[in-house]
Amino acid sequence: MPSWVEYVREHLSLPNCRPEREAQIVEELAQQLDDAYQEALESGLSEQEAFSAATRHVCDWPALANDLMHAGIGRTKRVQLPLSDQHTPPDLNQRPSPPGPGSPGDLSSSDSSTISKDRRVRISQMMDTVRQDLHYAGRMLAKKPVFTLVAILTLVIGIGANTAIFSVVDSVLLRPLPYPHSSRLAVVWSVFGKEGRAPSSGPELISLRERSRLFEQFAGIWVQSGALTGRGEPERVSLGLVTSNFLSLLSAGPQLGRFFLPHDEGQGAAPVVVISHELWQRRYGADPRIIGQPVRLSGELCTVVGVLPAGFKLIFPEGASVPAHIDVYIPFQWDLAKQSRDQGYIRIIGRLRDGATIQQAQAELDNIASQLRSEFLEYSGQNLHLQALSLQGDVAHNVRRALLALFAGTAFVLLIACANVAMLVLSRANERRDEITVRAALGAGRARIIRQLLTESVLLSCLGGIAALAVSWGILRILWVLQPAGIARMAPTGLNLADLVFNLLVSVFCGILFGLSPALEARGLDLASMLRGASRSTGGNKRLSRQLLIGCEVALTFVLLTSSVLLIRTFADLLRVEPGFNPNNVLTFQVSLTGVRYPTRDAAIQFIREAQRKLSTVPGVQSVGVVSHLPFDDNLPNWYDYYWREGAPQQEQNTLMADHRSVSAGFFDTLRIDFVAGRDFDSADEVANRKVVIIDDSLANQLWPRGDAIGKALNVENGDFVRDVAEVIGVVKHVQYHSLTNQVRPQIYLRYPMAVRANMSFVVRTNASPETLVPLIRRQVADLDKDLPVANVRLMDDYVSDARMSARFITVLCGSLGAIALLLSCIGIYGVTSSAVADRTKEIGIRMALGAQRYKIMMMILRAGMTPILTGGLLGFALSLALTPLLSSLLFGVRPIDPVILFSVLMFLFFVGLSASSLPALRVIRGNPITALRCE
Amino acid sequence: MSDRELKKGSAELLVLSCLEARPRHGYEIGKLIEARSNRRIQFRIASLYPILCRLEGRGLISGRWIERSGERRRRYYRLTARGRKFLEAERTAWGDFVATINRVVSSTYA
Repeated sequence: MPSWVEYVREHLSLPNCRPEREAQIVEELAQQLDDAYQEALESGLSEQEAFSAATRHVCDWPALANDLMHAGIGRTKRVQLPLSDQHTPPDLNQRPSPPGPGSPGDLSSSDSSTISKDRRVRISQMMDTVRQDLHYAGRMLAKKPVFTLVAILTLVIGIGANTAIFSVVDSVLLRPLPYPHSSRLAVVWSVFGKEGRAPSSGPELISLRERSRLFEQFAGIWVQSGALTGRGEPERVSLGLVTSNFLSLLSAGPQLGRFFLPHDEGQGAAPVVVISHELWQRRYGADPRIIGQPVRLSGELCTVVGVLPAGFKLIFPEGASVPAHIDVYIPFQWDLAKQSRDQGYIRIIGRLRDGATIQQAQAELDNIASQLRSEFLEYSGQNLHLQALSLQGDVAHNVRRALLALFAGTAFVLLIACANVAMLVLSRANERRDEITVRAALGAGRARIIRQLLTESVLLSCLGGIAALAVSWGILRILWVLQPAGIARMAPTGLNLADLVFNLLVSVFCGILFGLSPALEARGLDLASMLRGASRSTGGNKRLSRQLLIGCEVALTFVLLTSSVLLIRTFADLLRVEPGFNPNNVLTFQVSLTGVRYPTRDAAIQFIREAQRKLSTVPGVQSVGVVSHLPFDDNLPNWYDYYWREGAPQQEQNTLMADHRSVSAGFFDTLRIDFVAGRDFDSADEVANRKVVIIDDSLANQLWPRGDAIGKALNVENGDFVRDVAEVIGVVKHVQYHSLTNQVRPQIYLRYPMAVRANMSFVVRTNASPETLVPLIRRQVADLDKDLPVANVRLMDDYVSDARMSARFITVLCGSLGAIALLLSCIGIYGVTSSAVADRTKEIGIRMALGAQRYKIMMMILRAGMTPILTGGLLGFALSLALTPLLSSLLFGVRPIDPVILFSVLMFLFFVGLSASSLPALRVIRGNPITALRCE
Repeated sequence: MSDRELKKGSAELLVLSCLEARPRHGYEIGKLIEARSNRRIQFRIASLYPILCRLEGRGLISGRWIERSGERRRRYYRLTARGRKFLEAERTAWGDFVATINRVVSSTYA
């Protein structure tokens, strides 16, 4: 008689099973084989034949081992005692005595290895199941290519837009600035009355350094422009006048040479410069021998001591007049402490000590400002306050709300897309019910079915997510083209790891979200009722799910549409808004008259006069003017200061500020700025060198509301930080200088030679297309000074268009989101109504056969279709009332809650819903009732 | 549907129903199914034993070693309360399923 125990032990390998359990299995299998063997012998077979008959019971031992592992013997932890007839449970109170070393019960080492094996097996089983589920899900999706394609396309739109906007939000709001210890960097603004974000004076910076305990260091920058001459063409460069620690605060180190040292700064220091990587490459051919070489900057010889690393840029808040790219850095050549206390021109940044918070820093600055006010008359007169803001937070302060609004908008689109896919999945519910019924009847567990359904939806969603990456990349390229200033500064160049992780998370989330409804349905599976034929019924639950989904979709679309319309109205108003001048056919360019080439005022005045005269003789030029600051040009620091009625009491002085502009005669005519009263500057003013100013109507109304400004004396700043008294000879319309929507400050125009500025812009009005005149204009300037660079040659129209950029950016994006939401909703509504009508075809057929009137049936279908649409519309109406006020800072010329817009959107959605519901209804009632009756 | 597929889907039901009356050991269950089906359904040990392990793992049956005089000890399986409930539900569902299938396959009109 064969030893079946040995036979089984020889063939069966269960490495992941506890030894005692394995012993039981071996014993039991051996018995069964023996039973089979004995039975074969009893039926008259020989021993050899009986042995063969018994062993045929198990032909594939590895398969049996695998089946047993899947049956759960590998993970069983229960002690299966080889019990006798009188089975008694183990006495739980009796602690088993520890087995001695080497005793048969010493299984501690094999136990732990069994457990780790056990875990491995469990993981491998899980992976196996996941692989099976994925394989099956893939087959199911491939079987329905149209369904799969439509679902993926829908998801691509939602996930793609979300990934792209997340990428922007991440790079603009979340990612740390590319500076050492960037989280500890703060920007410090001076606050005077209504001026919340003013630059600081040299003595303020020094006082901060002396008195602050929470800041490690403070650094400052003042941006000017200069001309590089000598080697190559003369070139106007942006010039950063900085404290000696400025660059080391913001960069880990130079690419070549060194940064500034304390002795490079101050009066009498030898002039040294650090140049940008771009300038080094462009102008000096990346020559490493540039270190130690002299360059001529605005006529003065300076030694190059360092080159910045590639990609270094300044990221300052908008309105700080600090551009991202500066070509040349030079330390302040004067003693900051000895400057006037009311000459604010320096933008200060500081680095907090480790552990100090911005709130503590603000408390300290409040204290310092209070000390300064009590110690210095200038500060008490100005009511100086200091404000510390985190650099990271402040650089995005103007775009944060817009970006978050867009992010919310894309999330809405994603939810709508998910709702559509959920409805698609539900519409397949009937055929899936049959399939699920068969699977359940064949032994599939409920959990397994739910897991399979979810695997399918997550797989579908992840496929959508992968395809969405291409869409996100495309959207990012479009954003790059549309880039408004605040975002352009940190514009993303592509998708990074964080974006990919976000994409994956969103995909999985969507998969679970739209997979939930069929999975929930499967949870309530009742095999018996399904088999009894309930599978064909259009359950109330399904109808309710669809109606809920449609209602949510319509509500979300309502909010998106309302927001889009509000933003489109804003943009339309911005297009209509008058900037206060006519920018058409005006060419502008800038010159920088500084350094040893224009050492005196007279040299600069002479050049400007000559250039204006020569340019006005160019054929095609109508008029020429000169101005110190162009409207909407943020590249140079703004010039603004206090003004007051001459003779105003002390307490009225230093309270009101205005933008000061130095302009030549012809400026107002060239930009077509209208005079309200008085006259333009003329040659008689120049000959007599009269101190005269022109003011804008908002200032005139403020000081002389009775309209008698002309002839009055006004105390102004004359461009050299010196107060002067001038006679008002004209009042012009206010010009929008900084933004199309906000009136920032009133304007004072000083006659050009009275206030001489180093950087001047020419405005040239032409008859023909301005671009054609550029070579002629360059030649005229070169005739006067061949080394003077002509910079920023641009159309005035371009400046105005840039000012609309931000609004255009938000409008285009939000408008697109609204359109996508509308499209998806239409598809959703149409799909659901079609599907609902299809489910009721037989019922409709019966009604028609029994003589129901067609219009009544039509009304019945429409009523069922329109109920969720109207409910969703009302919900959206309420949501819009709550949410659109959050957009108010992005709106212009329209109130966030606009009843006309709200009702129009409601009516619009009503008609869209009506049309989408009518099509399937019409199709059915036009059909033959017999066909409807036969429909299964 | 082939015998094999039918058997695969209904194996658990068959095993459970064999244990309804009294506890049985593994080989006996196989033989009982064979007998009740007039030898139409036969289980090899390799197929039946994993089913027993699975049902036991799910708590629908429980096994216990019993030694009878003059016999080797054997592992007997009996239905648990949960298994009994499950068997009832499955039996009803199976009946409905068969009736449904019958309705479909025996229909002679369109």
